[in-house]
Amino acid sequence: MRILLQFAIIVGICLVGEFLHKIVGIPVPGNILGMVLLFILLCLKVVKIDHIKDVSDFLLKYIAFFFLPPSISIMAAGDEVLSQWPLLLAMCVALTIVTMVSTGWAVQLSVQISKTIKLHRKGIDVKRRAKVGSRESR
Amino acid sequence: MNLDNAFLQTPLFGIFLSLIAFEIGVSISRKWKFSLLNPILIANVLIIGFLTCTGISLETYNIGGDVITLFMYPVTVVLAVPLYRQVHKLCKYFVPIMIGICVGSLTAMLSVILCSKLLHLSHTMMLSLVPKSITIPMGSVVSAQIGGIPSVTIIAIVVTGITGAVTAPLVCKIFRIKYPVAQGVAIGTTSHALGTTRAMEIGEIQGAMSSLSIGVAGVLTAVVAPYILQLF
Repeated sequence: MRILLQFAIIVGICLVGEFLHKIVGIPVPGNILGMVLLFILLCLKVVKIDHIKDVSDFLLKYIAFFFLPPSISIMAAGDEVLSQWPLLLAMCVALTIVTMVSTGWAVQLSVQISKTIKLHRKGIDVKRRAKVGSRESR
Repeated sequence: MNLDNAFLQTPLFGIFLSLIAFEIGVSISRKWKFSLLNPILIANVLIIGFLTCTGISLETYNIGGDVITLFMYPVTVVLAVPLYRQVHKLCKYFVPIMIGICVGSLTAMLSVILCSKLLHLSHTMMLSLVPKSITIPMGSVVSAQIGGIPSVTIIAIVVTGITGAVTAPLVCKIFRIKYPVAQGVAIGTTSHALGTTRAMEIGEIQGAMSSLSIGVAGVLTAVVAPYILQLF
């Protein structure tokens, strides 16, 4: 599909996202609303991947580049960041590990729990069947 | 000679500088394949160094920089594409994955709030660090929305992503996160796209789960963050 049309679809969705945020007043940033909206449209097959493939592949490939300029503004962030940077760095590193472990454990634990529940149900089923079976055989 | 004159007062200068610095960053990180050499960090050092040496102001750079930043709207929106491509893998473990992402996003935010209070960081600094586990396009707008400084958030996001990418295999081993699904969700929820590239190296399931978690964790954090902050 033509590149400019692909861009038009994506930018159009951005606009709707901004509309939902600023005019309708949903308290979530417009671009994130736009993402949710595109996801829904893809699921409903109103928009197909082919309709936006080239432009989205391009944007996703160079995603980091588009956030280079806002990160440069750290120059203007001032003394607080400069004086505290070792502390901030240590905090980011430590909390990353805390978050990763708690997420991993949460998934693992809930998989285990759901497995035991399933086994337990199966166990009841087996017992019931055994009972019924023994009755029938009598 | 004062370089900060009319010659540089067009967007061309900022765009050119960003492109060159980022290209250098990408080629350095490709050459050495060492996670700490992230293109954004290298480009940051180069651009800040260049601006400081030449005495060109940040405002002059930002005339061009703002043009590039304009792309953050479409870039965030197309994050729906990788999410859509992976979503069918969600069905089997829907509940555990959702529980994991919720726990992870809440831990990420609450741990920052707690730590900031303990270390007596300023309120603005705390707000800037709250969205540090989600992907840059979402984190920077969430930061701006809740009253943080987006540039600090972006650097914190990159640091978090690098930490996750570097430490993930070791952390999973030490803390016995064995299930591939758990590993993937943990890496994606914590360290977004930077961690996901590492998760893809570990395994296919890990990679898919990780890239799925980026979008879900991002939306969840964006929705919940303002309410969590009201509690403190």
